[in-house]
Amino acid sequence: MWLVTDSVFIGLIQAAPLMLATMGFTLIYYLNGFINVAYAENITFGAYFASIFQVFLGLGFFASILPAVLFAGVFSVLTFLLVFRPAAARGVGPTEMIILSVGLSFFFRYGATLLFGNNPYFLENANPQYWTIFGQGITDTQVVALSLVAVVTIGLLLFIYRTRWGEMMRALANNRDLAMASGIVPTKVSVLIWFIAGAAGGLAGIFFGVFALVTPYMGWNMILVIIMLSIVGGIGSVRGALIASLLAGILTAGITLVSQPLYADIVLLILFIAVLRFRWKRA
Amino acid sequence: MAYLYYSLTLVAIYIGLTLLLHLQFGRLGIVNFGVVGFWGLGMYAHGIMVALWGVPWVLAVVIAALLVGAFALALGALILRLDGQAVLVGTLAFATIVLHLVTTEKWLTNGVVGLGTIEYPFDWGSSTEPVFLGLVVAAIAVLYAYAVRLDGSFYGRLLAAIRDNEPLAHGLGKPTFRHKLVFFSVTCAGMGFLGALSASLFQFLTSNMIAPGVTFTAWIALALGGKGRPLGAILGVVATVGLFDVFIETFAPIPPDYALLVPNIKLMMYGAFLVAIMMYRPLGLLGNSQEHR
Amino acid sequence: MSQARLSITDLKKSFGGRTVVSVDRLEIGRHRIEGLIGPNGAGKTTLMGLITRKLTADAGRLIYRPGDTDIDLGSMSMDMVARAGLVKTNQVIQDFESLSIRDSLRLSLALPEWERFWTVFARRRNDERIEAEIDEILTHFPFANPGGKALSAGEKKLLDIIRCLLLRPRVLLMDEPTAGLPDDLTRAVMTLVEQKADENDMSVFIIEHDLDLIWDYCAHVHFLAEGQLLCDGSPKEVRDHPVVVEKYMGIVDA
Repeated sequence: MWLVTDSVFIGLIQAAPLMLATMGFTLIYYLNGFINVAYAENITFGAYFASIFQVFLGLGFFASILPAVLFAGVFSVLTFLLVFRPAAARGVGPTEMIILSVGLSFFFRYGATLLFGNNPYFLENANPQYWTIFGQGITDTQVVALSLVAVVTIGLLLFIYRTRWGEMMRALANNRDLAMASGIVPTKVSVLIWFIAGAAGGLAGIFFGVFALVTPYMGWNMILVIIMLSIVGGIGSVRGALIASLLAGILTAGITLVSQPLYADIVLLILFIAVLRFRWKRA
Repeated sequence: MAYLYYSLTLVAIYIGLTLLLHLQFGRLGIVNFGVVGFWGLGMYAHGIMVALWGVPWVLAVVIAALLVGAFALALGALILRLDGQAVLVGTLAFATIVLHLVTTEKWLTNGVVGLGTIEYPFDWGSSTEPVFLGLVVAAIAVLYAYAVRLDGSFYGRLLAAIRDNEPLAHGLGKPTFRHKLVFFSVTCAGMGFLGALSASLFQFLTSNMIAPGVTFTAWIALALGGKGRPLGAILGVVATVGLFDVFIETFAPIPPDYALLVPNIKLMMYGAFLVAIMMYRPLGLLGNSQEHR
Repeated sequence: MSQARLSITDLKKSFGGRTVVSVDRLEIGRHRIEGLIGPNGAGKTTLMGLITRKLTADAGRLIYRPGDTDIDLGSMSMDMVARAGLVKTNQVIQDFESLSIRDSLRLSLALPEWERFWTVFARRRNDERIEAEIDEILTHFPFANPGGKALSAGEKKLLDIIRCLLLRPRVLLMDEPTAGLPDDLTRAVMTLVEQKADENDMSVFIIEHDLDLIWDYCAHVHFLAEGQLLCDGSPKEVRDHPVVVEKYMGIVDA
């Protein structure tokens, strides 16, 4: 029984950044219809931005979150405006677009290695507070992470399903020509979506970084699982992606408790290949 | 001198991987982003059999290739009915699983510490390395001849038809899925075969050899050389592996402090190249014969 | 032609709860060329898809009789059906973008045993016979450049039909063969189809909105509306049938 409760508890905390990243990834996937592998580096750079604000500007951990998230959002918009939008305008197909995004991912990842070196950065909360909830120890970082994820998630869902912008996004994703004919400006909506997605990814990166280490490879190591959760959750369904990441977080926590984390990844990836077969539209 | 043979053998192996990728992607349109998984599985299977279990070298090569082919068959049965995006993610996931297993199963692979020593299949003193290079080149020559023969053959035409319009080929009575599965399995087994040969070249296997950079290098070489013709694979590898891993490492005077940066700069530039090629020259920098065929 | 080549019984297909095809009984192949007409959305293309096994029926039996033995199509895949001699031309223009016209025809004529992984290194012996057959068929049609690719929509449509004819089908299904083809080419195609039907003992089943073509070439016509076969008979009988007049002709004339 302890395994179940611990798995759920740790899984919830670990799934928090995973949920954020998967939501962000899914937004772009939903809007543009291609898998953006370079989203991995959006996550990585979010963590590096926060480290830089902390180390070089001396901001506290919590104070560095907001500017880092804004930077990550701007970074995401820039990749859209400078790379993906021109590529789409040149008629690059969906498969070529992922290959392109893999290239971009390598460019950013090894660029980060050159800039920051191979040694990990530590992103940490200098004065952690410990609390006990339901007999489980929890730090204030984790509480902040969980609450921020809850706020962002609810905000995003409201945004997508309740606001005019969200409606415009869904209209664009479903039928681009029709949406444009009815006066929606795709670039404006896209910039906003890429900003939100990038900010979510950056925030996810900060929490991945604070729970572990900040390295140039952190995003790349996560991206496959994120892609998989987005697909398993139903392509383009933000709600499905949320549930899938929550379950994956709990499964990962459970497997990590009894053996090692890599086995969790292996199980997830094998499940993923099996699920692809049924979830994906036929060629 | 020994280092030169090592480098040339490495170039030959990359040419082989890129030729196989040319067959898979250029001919049949299969987006295999798990090259390192098939290659690495063959490499470790061979290394384990030879170094730990004392299986004869040739037998170990054959078994390694067959094993990889069998895995490719199982994976292909699951994903080859799906579109390019799914195949890309599925093969990438496969390669990641292989990497993770090599890392976790230390009792078998020795993880980052390393598995070895894997000897050459023969010991002819100072001619061992050149003869081994000749062996690899001979294998690549067969592969190259195969790729060239596809042009104008019934089978090559069938592959092009499946790549262009699978439902139409299916309606003309071609068992398209079976053909894709067979071709994918055999070419992946080829990657496993090259992996087995690489094991002897490296002699000592560590888990960080199974890096996505291997897949990526083959892709960048294919993209540079042009996916549509076998010669493109050779030119592409010479322009990438030949330039960075042989020419610069051997001849360029790089201070030791900066030497560690070279691989990172290389992969970063590969990334930028791939973006640029996909955007401006999807048929390859060196042109594509398909358009004029 | 006493026996039907293709017998369909109780065939049903629905998409999302809406029944698209519900055919109690349909026999094809008692006549050389038969036609299928019906208003848009009647389920004609779906019916063709079910026969060629591109689509899987919810229920029903498809019996194919190329010779003396019965073949149950229900368990066969689309490529097996085509190899058994039941071939369909495409309504929407389809082509292999990297194959020239000649290569496309060579693809059609290739036997399965020439298309194996290792046959690439084998000597090619059957080239001459194949090239001669391609030359023969090309004399019937004015392709601008048979060594190059099919350029216009008309050329692609024509190529699609020829590719199917070269498979020597026992039953040829044609889904709107004239759509996109100029009039004189349509006549040339139909003349060739008639000729091949006689030479190779082939039955033809045509879906077409161009009713003149149906009345001119078909010996027997079936009328499909809302997924059901409402009547069949000679062109004259069908043309004058009250149900056809009510459900179809009125719309066509308007």
